[in-house]
Amino acid sequence: MALIKVENLTKIYNTTAVPVKALNNVSVEFEKGEFTAIVGPSGSGKTTFLNMIGGLDKPSEGQIIVDGVKLADLKGSKLVEYRLHHIGFVFQAYNLIPVFSALENVEFIMLLQGVPKKERQQRARELLEAVGLGDRLNNRPGQLSGGQQQRVAVARALASRPEFVLADEPTANLDSKSADDLLDLMENLNQKYNMTFIFSTHDARVIKRARRVVTLRDGAVVNDQTSN
Amino acid sequence: MILALAWKNIWRNKTRSLIVILAIAFGLWGGLLSGGLMVAMGNSMVNSAIDRDLGHIQIHHPRYDENKDIRRFVPNTPLVLQKLKTVDGISDITTRSRFLGIASSATSSFPVQITGIYPDQEKKVTRLFERIKQGTYFKSKRKNAILIGEKLAHRLNLRLHSKLVLGFEGLQGELINVACRVEGIYKTESSQFDEMNVYLPAEFLFKSLASQPVFHEIAIRLNDASLLPSQTEQIKRLFPDLKVESWKERSPETAFIADLMILYTYFFLVFIFFAVLFGITNTMLMSVVDRVRELGMLMAIGMKKNLVFGMILLESLLLSLTGGLVGIVIGGLTLKLTNHSGINLSIFKASLESFGSSSILYPTLPTEMYLMLTFLIVLIANLAAIMPAIKAIRLEPARAIRTV
Ligand SMILES: Nc1ncnc2c1ncn2[C@@H]1O[C@H](COP(=O)(O)OP(=O)(O)OP(=O)(O)O)[C@@H](O)[C@H]1O
Ligand SMILES: [Mg+2]
Repeated sequence: MALIKVENLTKIYNTTAVPVKALNNVSVEFEKGEFTAIVGPSGSGKTTFLNMIGGLDKPSEGQIIVDGVKLADLKGSKLVEYRLHHIGFVFQAYNLIPVFSALENVEFIMLLQGVPKKERQQRARELLEAVGLGDRLNNRPGQLSGGQQQRVAVARALASRPEFVLADEPTANLDSKSADDLLDLMENLNQKYNMTFIFSTHDARVIKRARRVVTLRDGAVVNDQTSN
Repeated sequence: MILALAWKNIWRNKTRSLIVILAIAFGLWGGLLSGGLMVAMGNSMVNSAIDRDLGHIQIHHPRYDENKDIRRFVPNTPLVLQKLKTVDGISDITTRSRFLGIASSATSSFPVQITGIYPDQEKKVTRLFERIKQGTYFKSKRKNAILIGEKLAHRLNLRLHSKLVLGFEGLQGELINVACRVEGIYKTESSQFDEMNVYLPAEFLFKSLASQPVFHEIAIRLNDASLLPSQTEQIKRLFPDLKVESWKERSPETAFIADLMILYTYFFLVFIFFAVLFGITNTMLMSVVDRVRELGMLMAIGMKKNLVFGMILLESLLLSLTGGLVGIVIGGLTLKLTNHSGINLSIFKASLESFGSSSILYPTLPTEMYLMLTFLIVLIANLAAIMPAIKAIRLEPARAIRTV
C-alpha cells in the first residue's frame, strides 16, 4: 500500500478578489523510501501541495491518506500531534530557533515529543555528526552558513523519526555547491535509513538528482517520471 | 528547556526588554517609596497619639465615656494595679484623675479636660515631658503648677507663670474653683489636643477635691507593640466589670488612619501596575509580531498551541519578575536606608503636624506587602501576555511561514 495517497486534491484560495485554483484535481501516490522532486514554475502550486500533505493546510476538495490515516479526520491538536510524530519538515528559510544552538534546535523537537533528556541529547549529537556538523554543535544559527543551517534543519526533521520528510525548496537560498552538498546528504539519508524525501524545487541541477520527478503546472500534474 | 528558551527570547531585543524592565523597576521603586512614606506618616500619627496620651491600653469605669463625670472613677484602683502586676509584657502604668471642666484666664474661658497626674509616673508611659516648649515639667515643685498646651495659651492669652482658674464639679456635685500657675507650655503634633488638655499634680487636685485619690483612667504601656492583641485580651478577662480598651479601640480614628495609609499604598501600586500592564502588553505584542515566521515554523513542526501560549506567558512572567525583582530590591533597600536615617520633610512640617504626624518620617512597609506585590506582578504579567499569546496561537502555520 502507498505511504501517501492523494485523491482528487483541489485547493481554491478565496482570500483574494478572484478565487485562485492553486491545485486542480490532483491524484498521486508516494511509496515508502521515495526520493521525489515536485517541480514546476513559480505559482504552479508546489508549496500548496506540500502544505496539504504536511497537514498545514486543508484541501477544498479531495483527500489525503497517510499510512491509512485520513488527514481530514485529524482535528486541532490531534493534527499537530500527527505532524510532530509522523512528518519531518524542512522549509526554505527560518527553520531554526535563532537563540538556540544547533544541538538545542535538534533536541527541541524531541522535547516536544517527550523523549527523555539523555536520549535526545545523544540522538541530536549523532544526527548532527551524520549531517557533518559534529564540530558545530554549540553554534547558533547566526553563526552558521545557509547550507549548514539547512543541514541542521534536516537533522531536526530526522530527529523526530518521521514517516517521511517534506522539504519546500530547501536549496532555494543556497549556492550551487551547498545545494549539491545538501542533496548528497539527503540522498545519503534516504539510502541509509530508507527515509522518504519529498522536496520541491525549480533548480534544474537539483531536479536531476531526484529519482522521481512530479511536474505541476497551473495546479495540475502534467508529468510524473521515475528514473530506474 | 522551555524556560531557557523563554529567557533567551526576552533578550533578543535587549533595548526593548530593558525599557520594560526599567519601567517596572522604577514604577515599583516610586510606588514602594511613596507607600513607605505614607505608612511612615500613619505610623508617626499612631506613635504620636500613643506617646502623647493614649499609651497602649487604657482602663476606665464602664460608663466613664458617657459624660466623663468625676464620679465615674475606676473603683478600688489599688486592687486593679495589684492584679495588673500578674500580666506580662507591661512596661509601665500611669494612673490619672481626669474629668471635664472650664479653664479661665483674666480675659476669657474655655472648656478643657483636666488631668491630675503623678508627673514621674506619667513620664514612664507618655512623652508629654519632651514636649515642653516654655517653662518646665513640674520642676518648680509648686503645688498648684499646671501645664497647658500652646493653643490654649494663645486662646486664653496666657503666658508662663500666668494665673489660670479651673472650674469643675466636685465629687458631691459642688462647684470647685482652683487657681493655678502656668508652669509649662507644651506643644504636641496635635493642636486640637493642645487646646483642650491641662495637666496638674494629682496630689493638688485631690486636696482641692478634699477627697481620697480617685482615678478615672489607667494607661498602660507595653514593652512591645506586637503584644497588644494578646495582652489586651488578657487584661479584659482580668477585669470583666471595667472598660479595657487597646489604643485602637480607644482611638479608632487613629487606627483607621494607619490602615488608610496601607490601603492608599495598595491603590497607588495597583495604579502603577495598570500603567505597567500596557507597557508589557505592548512589548510582548511586538515580540510576537517580530517572530511570526518562527512561531509559524514551531507550530508547523509540532509545537502545540497551549505550549506556545505557555511560552509567551512565561516570557512575560520572566520579563516582569526581572523588573519586579530589581524594583523590589532597590525599593526595599531605599526603604531600609531611609528607615534608618529618616526622611526630614520639615518643609511640610506645618501640614504634617496638622495631621498629627511628625515631620521626620521613617519609611517602612509591612512585609506582607512585598508578598502581595510579587503576587500582583505575576498577575499583571499573565494578564499582559494574554492578548499577545492569543495572537500567537491564532497564527496559521502555513500562512505564517510564507509571511515575508
Ligand atoms: N494564501 C494564499 N491566498 C491566495 N492565493 C494563494 C495563497 N497561497 C498561494 N496562493 C496562490 O496559489 C498559487 C500557487 O501558489 P504556490 O505558492 O503553491 O506556488 P509555488 O509553486 O510554490 O510557487 P513558488 O515556486 O513561487 O514557490 C499561486 O497562484 C499563488 O498566488
Ligand atoms: Mg513555493
